[in-house]
Amino acid sequence: MEGTNRGFATPTIKGKLRLRPNTHIQQARSILISIPIMVFGLAIGALLLSIVFREPAAGIGSLPNKPGIVVLLWPGYIVSVIAYIATRGFRDRRLWSLALAALVGVVLVGGAIFLVLGTSTPAASSGTPTASGAVASPAGSVAATAAASSPGASAVAASSPGASAAAAPASASSVSQANGNAAFGVDVLAFLFVVLGVPLLWNLYRGRSWFLTPEAKHEVLTAEHLAQDAGGLSPIVAPLTEIASETYTEAKLGEPLLSVRGLKKHFPILGGVLRRRIGTIYAVDGVDFDVRQGEVFAVVGESGCGKTTLGRTLLQLTPPTAGHVIYDGYELGDVDPDDMRPLRRRMQIIFQDPFGSLNPRMPVSDIIGEGLLAQGVTNRADRDKRVEDSLEIVGLRRDYTRRYPHEFSGGQRQRIGIARALALSPDFIVCDEPVSALDVSIQSQVLNLLLDLKRDFNLTYMFISHNLSVVEYFSDRIAVMYLGRIVELGTVDQLYRNARHPYTVALLSAIPDADPRKRRRRLVLKGDVPSPAAPPSGCRFHTRCWLYEQLGKPERCTTEDPSLRVIEGTDHQAACHFAEEVSETTVRETVATQDVIDTAAAVES
Amino acid sequence: MTEIISAEVPRGAPPARDVLLDVRNLKTYFRVLDGLVPAVDGVSFSLKRGQTLGIVGESGSGKSVTALTIMRLIDIPPAEIAAESEVWFDGREILGLKMDEMRKIRGNDVAMIFQEPLTSLNPVFTVGDQIAEQVVNHKKVSKKAAWDRAIESLQLVGIPSPERRVKAYPHEMSGGMRQRVMIAMALSCEPKLLIADEPTTALDVTIQAQILELLKTIQDRTGSALLLITHDLGVVAEMVDNVIVMYTGQIVEQGTVNDVLIEPRAPYTMGLIESIPSVDKRGGKLSAIKGTVPNPFNLPPACRFEPRCPYHWELCSRVEPQLYDIGTTGRQARCHLYTPEGASRQQAALDSHRQAMTVGRTDPPSGR
Repeated sequence: MEGTNRGFATPTIKGKLRLRPNTHIQQARSILISIPIMVFGLAIGALLLSIVFREPAAGIGSLPNKPGIVVLLWPGYIVSVIAYIATRGFRDRRLWSLALAALVGVVLVGGAIFLVLGTSTPAASSGTPTASGAVASPAGSVAATAAASSPGASAVAASSPGASAAAAPASASSVSQANGNAAFGVDVLAFLFVVLGVPLLWNLYRGRSWFLTPEAKHEVLTAEHLAQDAGGLSPIVAPLTEIASETYTEAKLGEPLLSVRGLKKHFPILGGVLRRRIGTIYAVDGVDFDVRQGEVFAVVGESGCGKTTLGRTLLQLTPPTAGHVIYDGYELGDVDPDDMRPLRRRMQIIFQDPFGSLNPRMPVSDIIGEGLLAQGVTNRADRDKRVEDSLEIVGLRRDYTRRYPHEFSGGQRQRIGIARALALSPDFIVCDEPVSALDVSIQSQVLNLLLDLKRDFNLTYMFISHNLSVVEYFSDRIAVMYLGRIVELGTVDQLYRNARHPYTVALLSAIPDADPRKRRRRLVLKGDVPSPAAPPSGCRFHTRCWLYEQLGKPERCTTEDPSLRVIEGTDHQAACHFAEEVSETTVRETVATQDVIDTAAAVES
Repeated sequence: MTEIISAEVPRGAPPARDVLLDVRNLKTYFRVLDGLVPAVDGVSFSLKRGQTLGIVGESGSGKSVTALTIMRLIDIPPAEIAAESEVWFDGREILGLKMDEMRKIRGNDVAMIFQEPLTSLNPVFTVGDQIAEQVVNHKKVSKKAAWDRAIESLQLVGIPSPERRVKAYPHEMSGGMRQRVMIAMALSCEPKLLIADEPTTALDVTIQAQILELLKTIQDRTGSALLLITHDLGVVAEMVDNVIVMYTGQIVEQGTVNDVLIEPRAPYTMGLIESIPSVDKRGGKLSAIKGTVPNPFNLPPACRFEPRCPYHWELCSRVEPQLYDIGTTGRQARCHLYTPEGASRQQAALDSHRQAMTVGRTDPPSGR
């Protein structure tokens, strides 16, 4: 958000959600690092203690004859749990209460088991303490393995001390033969508790369990949001019965609904024997824009320029590498994955390929109903009714619900894709090349449908396309992308009548017009798009730029990366050092001198 | 339906000398389990030396099968070519030729550029090998000379440092480069006719512009005729002299590109052109052809466009329309509007089209 001349206002963030660097990647990294450290630390601690007390065969939680050991182990376990929680963030109340619940549960269950086993069958055991240790340690190690992968890892770490604690009084009461049995039993039960009980507790806590009715679940979620609502954060969970009619957009018409700031998405190139990172694809590399409520915002560019990645990244379908996406006041990178769900309802996507994006094994009712199910419409009859409604909205028959995708033509499949997006009554739809797979006559049917839906449901579209004549007809504002960057941003009129970036000029010149009277010499760009793994230095377009050639290859283009700037006197933005030089005269001069056969020559490095 | 056998002896007379390709009543049917699919159903056209002819149509209209039949690249069976079909190329009937005779023509006098350059190039040979192989097969030259010829033709299509690129494998090149290689390969034997089947569909606009300019320049230089098959009316407007519009295996309209694209006469062509989005239609509704292309097993009985046609009347579902001459020579449209019976409705249809082209359809949207 630095750079005041770029024409973007700082987006307003509601409530507690503030702009801050994306933390979830660092979090994920610290969790990944902390788990093995914790497991190794515990193992080494137990090993050292058992050496000190000369009991080499004993594992964690099975040192019944040495109460002192257990006392020593306790602080270690607690510190590990705190350390684990610290990596996830101290402020997450759920982790704390979960750890506590697990500890209490293990102690209670373990104590009860001990009492039963320790009093009723005092002399039944035949195993020696050493043998019991050997038997018990696998259970302990299984629990430790589970800790590395399960979300309730803190609770698992806590379960073993519970087992030891329960075992400690056993030795104190000197019922030594029963100790082996008791310790083993406690270990097993603690393990079972971790596997069965912790998820149950978690579900109960989150209100996601199967035994809650949808209404109750919804209340739990809403209450949770209201509880967090200290700074004006409004509940974003839609009442289940009213998903279709409710729109929660607070942005007024023409105000930014979606703000993207400095968004980056890089993909690693892995190679070598160890699959190490040997390079990076800069798919989206620092993009800023606002999508205003009620408009059609188009993103155009050639294949490989990052348009589709941009659409997927801003919906958080792939996590961004850096940058912020603020949707109607909520910073999406900051939202807890569980809280994301109600927001996801409001942001939908229509995919490019109507053949690849519908599961061939699902009937239409399931394809469209899946999203509704995820949003909590669990009643089959309600869901089917909603599916039929949305089929009708897109101009298909209500009784198509039991059919499979292969029974439909390309245009009909694309309508199903649109119905799937609409079923959740979103405010914002990313249309990722919705018509490029369709024939011309079907294409206009789908475009008409999209425009009707926009008007009827107050939708906002982000329209990703490479077809510049469709974009000109369909959209209000356009962003032109090249190699992961936006090179020009403006209204349709600004862009098509008065393009300011040499790339946009060339792109527009390349559209073949169906009117043979408009046949003209084109401005043909040299070579291909450079690899996004190694973008050129300075301005990314300079290797193919006709203006660069015409201005006598100014050094600035190869050394200084132009940022998106406002052209004086307009709200039209372009990322070119020499945007003011672009005019009809310069274009005409270039067209007159270009050599078609030579156009491929520029690719050679 | 006529008796379908592989063609034996051509019965027609050869066309005039300046006609390079003359296709007469071409019928290619596919026999599948469910019945007979008329992929190409009675197509006739001719192409003069050095000229460019465009075939446009939506997917499934039979344009690619027409090209493959001319190249004799269709497998028989499952395909069947009607006995009365004739294809005259350079004064010879080629549907009746033996396969080894055809092989001498194919790649040498007629060359084809395919849509997907990646799938049509062999991934395990260098591009030089693939071009040189063709030259060695057709011209009596040494391997060395063929290799030089490959370098030359790569240079012709604007591939930088061809001496180095000739040793590259297809996967080492970008989409635009591969399509240039395909063109170089097609040009290596200096064909009289170049058939380009959707040459730019898989490419980006800027690369498409490069390839189209290249094709134009090459055609100017070598004087070969070009048969361009595409679904993109923009590409057609840019490239060709004459155009054929196909629908469900039949020609529905033909004429010069200016006539057909500026003043379309067949309702299908009108619909296609109306449905192209443009700024002039902004705010209004795009006019769309209703419905979808009919199932080839279950074609409408008379006019195949009748169920989708906004101008149809009772005659259209009863009598199958022929190609009727309109005005200038060679201008034809398959529609009853151009028969005496339809003359009274003709003006209304043309007016409706003109209105759709200027302001878009103004009638209330019917999306629901």
